[in-house]
Amino acid sequence: MSEIDQRIQAYLDGELRLQDLPLGLRQKAEEWDRLLGEVSRSAPAGAPVGFESRVLGAIRESRSSSGAQGPDSSARRPAWLDWAVRPRSVRVSPIAALGLAAALALVVLRPWTGTGTGLEMDPGVPAGSVYVQFVVQADGAESVHLAGDFSEWQPAIELSDPDGDGVWSGRVPLEPGVHEYMFVIDGSEWISDPNAAVSRDDGFGRQNSLLAVTEISGT
Amino acid sequence: MLGAEARQRTDAELVRDSLAGSEAAFGEIVRRYQDLLYRHAERMSGGADDAEDIVQTALIKAHRNLAGCQNPSRVGAWLFRITANACKDHLKGRRRNRLSLDDVPSLETGVGDPGEALDLKGIRARIDLALRRLPFEHREAFVMKHVEGLSYQEMGELLGVSVPALKMRVHRARDGLQELLEDLK
Repeated sequence: MSEIDQRIQAYLDGELRLQDLPLGLRQKAEEWDRLLGEVSRSAPAGAPVGFESRVLGAIRESRSSSGAQGPDSSARRPAWLDWAVRPRSVRVSPIAALGLAAALALVVLRPWTGTGTGLEMDPGVPAGSVYVQFVVQADGAESVHLAGDFSEWQPAIELSDPDGDGVWSGRVPLEPGVHEYMFVIDGSEWISDPNAAVSRDDGFGRQNSLLAVTEISGT
Repeated sequence: MLGAEARQRTDAELVRDSLAGSEAAFGEIVRRYQDLLYRHAERMSGGADDAEDIVQTALIKAHRNLAGCQNPSRVGAWLFRITANACKDHLKGRRRNRLSLDDVPSLETGVGDPGEALDLKGIRARIDLALRRLPFEHREAFVMKHVEGLSYQEMGELLGVSVPALKMRVHRARDGLQELLEDLK
């Protein structure tokens, strides 16, 4: 393949000016300008009139024909509750769990006993689930929610600040394993846990906080 | 109160209201991003009909899985990724559209105004044809850079790919385009 001179590539990327190029390359650079100008001018205008109505109509039709539930109904029943009561097996390598426990922020309060938690536990919660206390300082916030892989990333878990000191907290039953989560301030501002020891890029320019939960036995 | 109602709602608020069952909120999300998604799909698929199908399918899927949008304040980027993947699926699922050179007006056609118009049409048709022959990722990066006019930084945020990698894809696309356009002369 014949490669374009790197200086022309840099010019087309806006890193060099035309006058920075040797005379011999300027004509070629200007040819590219004309070509790319043509590409840009021939760009489609955008969505046609009525497109939004057709999309919403198709969504209605899709929901009614398949019987599938839209996001509205899934929001009525918190997904984390679905997650918590869904039977599953979690396999965590003991060696990996030990390594993770050493490397990650580990917040394990105690195994679920079913009393004094403020949460009604479903009998279907898998054995080995433990309560994890989430705490975040959010002065002036009107609401703080927790979202994570355990809630299908719905900010459905409400934290509370009963004494109004800006420290919001809540307990959530989690299965052993590594979980990712974020806090949602006032329903719109997603923030990482400033106290998390480990975080991971969420692919959208922010960091998911990581938490390792290990099973505690014999209590 | 009127001021508060008239305030443009944030993406996160629209996602929250959509999840609570508001069709109007999801409609606003569609209005906000439909042109960006549609332009991308049309350039990637090569046709308006295909673009409508692709974007509509992507938005239905997005609506169904809205609870899985990890960062509602960046719902536009999330929609773009779904649409970009839908474009990829669409192209995989159909036989590669191979235009015949007979369908493409010659670059040397005519003189004067009518001829110039035809010549312009010919150039655009050749660019379209050459673009369709580029590898998917090179074409995607080229379209975002030169059709949609996005910066490398913006492209990176939308695709979740590093700026150096995207720059390399655009450079490869230009190299390929140059060669293909030479072949089509």
